[in-house]
Amino acid sequence: MYKIKVCFFASLREQLAMESTQVVLSKPLSVLELKEKITAQYAQGSHLLDKGIQASIDFEFARDQDIIDPETVNEVAFFPPVTGG
Amino acid sequence: MSSQVKVQQDDFNVEQLYQSLRNNNQTGGVVMFVGLVRDFTTVKNQQEDSVFELEHYPGMTEHNLAKIVSTAQKKWSLHEVIVVHRIGKLAPQEQIVFVGVSAEHRREAFLACDFIMDYLKSRAAFWKKETQTHQSNWVAASEQDEAQLQRWED
Repeated sequence: MYKIKVCFFASLREQLAMESTQVVLSKPLSVLELKEKITAQYAQGSHLLDKGIQASIDFEFARDQDIIDPETVNEVAFFPPVTGG
Repeated sequence: MSSQVKVQQDDFNVEQLYQSLRNNNQTGGVVMFVGLVRDFTTVKNQQEDSVFELEHYPGMTEHNLAKIVSTAQKKWSLHEVIVVHRIGKLAPQEQIVFVGVSAEHRREAFLACDFIMDYLKSRAAFWKKETQTHQSNWVAASEQDEAQLQRWED
């Protein structure tokens, strides 16, 4: 079993009312599968499935089908599209 | 060839950054872009109650910016690159972002500065929030910004 940190930012952080959570994983899963796992665990979790929500795996932008290997990954994050500059 | 990437709450001094960009005697041109906070208030005389905030993802933001700068350095022959982006609460008309590039020739400096700003808008982990008369709004990403990136695909 491996623990990874999952962080939330901006409007998604406010909707979920949490900055981060720990997820216990025993095997690799996709970004979409992680979204569904968190959605099932938290009351407001379905916001993760909102259109446009982006993800990162250890600071690299990731897509729904990208695989999170809990053996090598430390941190996954979910957030709305970025608006810097 | 060197670069600096900073994410900070404090304001920045354009003159100082300019001096850092022109410290190579082979530098023939410096291009600098400064982004400012536009006055987003729609209700008259509410400027004092309005707040503009920038959230970022510590670690990822710096990682994104360093990657964008390094891509620009591979694409063009550049001397110095400096990127400074502010976070936290800012007032309308405050400076928010600085991108400065120096190179032997102007063309590379113009292109690299434009490229870095385009990618920063769509590929760096920042989020803007505007609050006026106690109503908060997260700024929506612009589809145009994402479309701008196609300009750079070869």
